[in-house]
Amino acid sequence: MSEMSYARAINRAMAEELERDPTVFVMGQDVGAFGGAFGITRGLQERFGSKRVFDTPISENFLAGGGVGAALTGLRPIVELQYADFIAIAMDEIYNKAAKWRYMHGGLFTVPLVIRAPEGAANGAGPEHSQCPEGLLLSAAGLHVVTPSTPADALGLLKSAVRSDNPVVFLEHKGLYSLKGEVPDGEHLVPIGVADIKRAGRDVTIVAWTTMVHQALAAAEILAAEGIEVEVIDPRGVRPLDKDTILESVRRTGRLVVTHEAPKPGGAASEVAAIVAEEATEYLAAPVMRVCGADIPLPQSAELEKFAIPSVDELVKACRSLLDY
Amino acid sequence: MTSPEKQQELYREMLRVAYWEQRLLRFIEEGRTSGFYHAGRGQEATAVGATKALRTDDYLLYDHRGLGHAIAKGVPIDRLFGDFLGTSEGTTGGLGAGLVHIAWPEVGVLGQSGTLGGAFPIAAGAGLSARYRETDQVVLCFFGEGASNRGTFHEAANVAALWKLPVIWLCANNGYSVSVPVAKSLSVPQVADRASAYGMPGTVVDGMDPDAVYEAVTVAVQRARAGEGPSLIEAMTYRFRGHYEGDPQTYRTKEELAFWEGKDPLISYPRRLIEEGVASLEWVEAMQAEVLDEVEQAAQRALKGVKPDPSRIFQHVYA
Repeated sequence: MSEMSYARAINRAMAEELERDPTVFVMGQDVGAFGGAFGITRGLQERFGSKRVFDTPISENFLAGGGVGAALTGLRPIVELQYADFIAIAMDEIYNKAAKWRYMHGGLFTVPLVIRAPEGAANGAGPEHSQCPEGLLLSAAGLHVVTPSTPADALGLLKSAVRSDNPVVFLEHKGLYSLKGEVPDGEHLVPIGVADIKRAGRDVTIVAWTTMVHQALAAAEILAAEGIEVEVIDPRGVRPLDKDTILESVRRTGRLVVTHEAPKPGGAASEVAAIVAEEATEYLAAPVMRVCGADIPLPQSAELEKFAIPSVDELVKACRSLLDY
Repeated sequence: MTSPEKQQELYREMLRVAYWEQRLLRFIEEGRTSGFYHAGRGQEATAVGATKALRTDDYLLYDHRGLGHAIAKGVPIDRLFGDFLGTSEGTTGGLGAGLVHIAWPEVGVLGQSGTLGGAFPIAAGAGLSARYRETDQVVLCFFGEGASNRGTFHEAANVAALWKLPVIWLCANNGYSVSVPVAKSLSVPQVADRASAYGMPGTVVDGMDPDAVYEAVTVAVQRARAGEGPSLIEAMTYRFRGHYEGDPQTYRTKEELAFWEGKDPLISYPRRLIEEGVASLEWVEAMQAEVLDEVEQAAQRALKGVKPDPSRIFQHVYA
């Protein structure tokens, strides 16, 4: 094991896969010599050359659609969109082409494409550069959507995504780039669509994604001092969604809080709440609670942005209220 | 110059395309398949002339107008019928492709984007892939003058020219995007006028003449294989039927239609081949009979196909 930042883990995943497979390449705006808007591709062009790691014009439709074209014809592109919000620019290419090309053409193709997209609130990037678009992609049958919360998961999930024959949107949270954590040495793969229990507990289950995993762990620590044992589950993605792990946990604890940065409507938390309502209602000792971002476009001011994102305090209160129900 | 052998091949292929569609329209009239079909009658010279300039391993992204390009590229015609009949004999294994989602990777047919202009970025990506893999494959991307107004064309045309990707942008300009005439949708007289803005050659050709289209695309293919980059070819053509089956066609005159029907490649081209001594009347008639028979046999084979089990809808969502 060695300590590594989330950003470096993503960089390492790309380097290892570029090294392993000559059909893997990286393209995006500023990913070449500049090393990426957030420095995530730093050193890759120097090491692998400009054939394998290269800059593109500001052309999100080409980035995603060109990635599909290359994936259909024998390559494994890793496309970096500068911000996850730009998925909206390339929505036809992602939602209609990457996700559906295989299905609508009778299974004659695979689409081994990875789209890396930095998401989330990070110090006032504003309403068009801070969103978590998991909910937007929830209905994209044919697509996999993964969301690492730790450096080890970022490394292992990205390597699995590159090796997958399915199109994968890899949503890396900008607010986690500097987060450090233990990462296994050598080959480390994390399977797509398998949740991870980040902390075991018997009283309340919190299902959380990306930054909210860490908020949930902080809440669990506070509640542990009061004798309340919180279980924190990170689904590590929304599609496929590991409902078995969630249901198993809820059947034990009887209480569920679901939390993400994005607002409630159309979000992954609603999907989890619905699944639990359908398949585990009889185990619930209290109503399911969603603790999510405010239902507004994110404000530009970093000071105001904080009020739009769920806090540790809100999670603590939510868990207490379920125990007091 | 198109060789006499190639001219005979082009005529035979146009017959296959036209007879195939004629047979399909009978299936539609008989209610065996939906009328979700955008007939290609009239545009055979463009579809066939361009596609026949390719090798088997070159890539094709076709557009929604007829299936001349897919047929000329080598998709088995019985399987195409199967797609319309919704049987497991179709290229999509009974999913029912209709016009839109037919593919046949072994002859380079990469499929079609159901959203107009969705193929542009994919074509550029396939061109990038050919170059990355150090092959000399090229990509032929069909679109109408209407789809040329999509922003995706700008992004794809820019990168293709910037990186000298082996792509041929083939615009079949048939004068109308559904009901809107080209003069009301295009900022310049010709789509090919836009080529210079991307630093690639732009050529306007007679889309009713298969030789003219074949020769223009052959030049573009050579240029692409040589690493000199993309070309834009605009073939001036016309659709003889409506945008869809049942289209009232209130937007055009009978006189205009008659003018273009006078250029019908299925009439003018064999006449020319006979006049030029490339083919005899007997050869033309024999070819018509042979192709008609081939198409009917394919239709009969397709009619024997079976409809898929309902579980088919859950296959191939993921690899």
